[in-house]
Amino acid sequence: MGSATILVIDDELHIRQFLRAAFEFEGFTVQEACDAEEGIRSATLKPPDLIILDLGLPDRDGSSIITRLRSWSNTPIIVLTVRSSEREKVRLLELGADDYVVKPFGIGELIARAHATLRPRLATTPANDHVVRVGPLEINLATRSGTIDGERLVLGPKEYLVLEILAQHAGKVVTRQQIMKQVWGGPHLDDTHYLRIIVRKLRKKIEVDPTRPRILLTELGIGYRLVR
Amino acid sequence: MRQDSYQVRQVSVRRRFQDDALSVLKSLLLVGITTIALLIAEQFFSLRHLILVYLVPVVIAATNLGMVPAVIAVIASGAATVFFFYPPIYSFLIEDPQHVVELLLFGFVAIVTGLLATNLKRQADLARRRETEVRELYTFSRRLLAAHTTSDIYTAIREHLASITGYRTILFEIVARGGGGVTLYTEGPVPEQVKRAAELLVEGHKGSGKGSVVEDGEGRVWLVRAIPGKGGDFGVLAIDLGLQAGKISDTIRKRIESVLADATATLERLDLAHALNDARVRSETEALRDALIGSVSHQLRTPLVSILGAATVISRAPGNSGDPRLASLVNILRNEVDRLNNDVQDLLDAALISSKGIRLECEWVEPSDIVNAAVDRRQRLLSGHHVLLDVSDELPLIYVDPILFEQALGQIVDNAAKYSHPGSAITIAARCDCDSIVLSIKDEGIGLVGEERTRLWERFFRGGRHASNVSGSGLGLWIAKAFVTANGGEIEALSEGADCGTLVSIRLQAKEPATRDLAVVDDG
Repeated sequence: MGSATILVIDDELHIRQFLRAAFEFEGFTVQEACDAEEGIRSATLKPPDLIILDLGLPDRDGSSIITRLRSWSNTPIIVLTVRSSEREKVRLLELGADDYVVKPFGIGELIARAHATLRPRLATTPANDHVVRVGPLEINLATRSGTIDGERLVLGPKEYLVLEILAQHAGKVVTRQQIMKQVWGGPHLDDTHYLRIIVRKLRKKIEVDPTRPRILLTELGIGYRLVR
Repeated sequence: MRQDSYQVRQVSVRRRFQDDALSVLKSLLLVGITTIALLIAEQFFSLRHLILVYLVPVVIAATNLGMVPAVIAVIASGAATVFFFYPPIYSFLIEDPQHVVELLLFGFVAIVTGLLATNLKRQADLARRRETEVRELYTFSRRLLAAHTTSDIYTAIREHLASITGYRTILFEIVARGGGGVTLYTEGPVPEQVKRAAELLVEGHKGSGKGSVVEDGEGRVWLVRAIPGKGGDFGVLAIDLGLQAGKISDTIRKRIESVLADATATLERLDLAHALNDARVRSETEALRDALIGSVSHQLRTPLVSILGAATVISRAPGNSGDPRLASLVNILRNEVDRLNNDVQDLLDAALISSKGIRLECEWVEPSDIVNAAVDRRQRLLSGHHVLLDVSDELPLIYVDPILFEQALGQIVDNAAKYSHPGSAITIAARCDCDSIVLSIKDEGIGLVGEERTRLWERFFRGGRHASNVSGSGLGLWIAKAFVTANGGEIEALSEGADCGTLVSIRLQAKEPATRDLAVVDDG
């Protein structure tokens, strides 16, 4: 994993410089691109393992780059964004970005996200590959059941589905709409209180203090994240 | 055409006659019922001046059926009294001269009462109609004032005209074309014939307000008419009169014309041209403001990203990473970058509020999520305080814009941390109180004294006692209040006095999510 290549697409020289230094210290190989065109070219010529994309590039807006990259590549993308644009974040995540980091950020945060994104999607155990482990949680995809700290969880079908979706993206944010679409389908996309109620029930079962969750976290205005 | 209108007149005369005959029958029925009731009553006790009871059917007929049926009710009542009750019974003769006087008096009183009742009814109807009209006009003008784009204005006008005429309408916007011509623009599908008629109307006679009647392919009849404004026509209105056999009747057309004449006069008075222009300027200013805010925030924040990023990289660099002195320096930098970043956010929020540009994106939110986000985002600022959270896990969901609401709560928490001693407690609680949800933030800090109590929420207000040693812009609480109010909540601050701490409460009306299909979630 240490030899993974990271492509940084950012128009700010200073940001590229410190990102290069940081990732090289971590043992990554870093490629740089200063605009969208160069970024897309670079990603085509020498496909990286992870793309870090700053929004607000001079030549193209973030969503069109993601759409273009996603048309032929599955390389994970982490977006660098600002705090006040939740709707934009949701849109980018839905277009195929894997995660986001809010500027300004400490480098530790970005490196942690990069590691989470680079890990294989499901942390399955070699013996039985239908069991997903996320922290104290263990989810059995075959029997559609779960345990927490070894204790069996009694989950309703919708609760199980939500948990499974989050577990499959463990460590990464999943938007409300992505969950709503998979669990309830089209007509209920706007009825997000359904999801809130399910999450409340789930938290009562898996969290020590459901009002101060440590496992199933809310990303306000965006979605949920299951801590790895 | 002539034959047509003759037929139309024939039809309408016949219908009118039918209506009148029905009213007369109804009034006779009322008199009949009264007579039967009186005949039954007479079996049990004798009634003096029973003719007065007949005032009841007369007044009912006058208020509900009109004057002619009322007069007929008077005559019928007189006849019934003479026939059934005045001796000799079952004849139209009257023995007692007193009864003649009584009968004449009844006739006089009944007709006067009937007249008064009819008038009263008419006036009440008129008042009710006026009230509806005024209410509609009021809603309409409010929509005009709030309109942000020209299409908002056109939609408002179209809906207003549709509601007062009672028919489906299409409103064409006249858009000036380069080269002197005009094009017509409207949203949604329009029958080809109607569009052509509207174009002919605009090209033919400008400002004339004349109209034409066309039939579309499906047999629906449309009245097409120009709507005049102060500086020439500003639109063309097409009214769908529905499936009419042959030509539309003159009465319908006249009624619509008169309603439209009223409406267009109002539109002229409201100075639509001005409103349209305002809307255009407003949307341009808004775009400019958004661009400016975007660019300012980019310009101010980009250096912060490099500063914080580079500093944290240095502290993690091989050889440096274990050094506690470096870690503490990075911590200082981090706090300062956070502070600056929050100040930039405050400026942006302030710009947003001043331009009345708060756009809410409300959704159902778990109250504890808001509290947690506000606390987590300020972890470093709060690290010196004991933060106690007291949030019930049975609170109803709240319907707010989560980002703005979290920012509001965050500002209060910021203030609590800034104006209280390190090591003191800050308690953030969320509870239900009757039908509201109350979020409260309690500190053990400097409290409020004097004018601080009243001026706390003002923009740029900073309490004199600590302004010199605590940094701040004086925007935080003002922003908090604006965001809470925008979300339909109330905010207040209580303090017992200097150094007695402050309790800030945010109160929100509890609402219930629409419970349709709640079975969808009720599975475990």
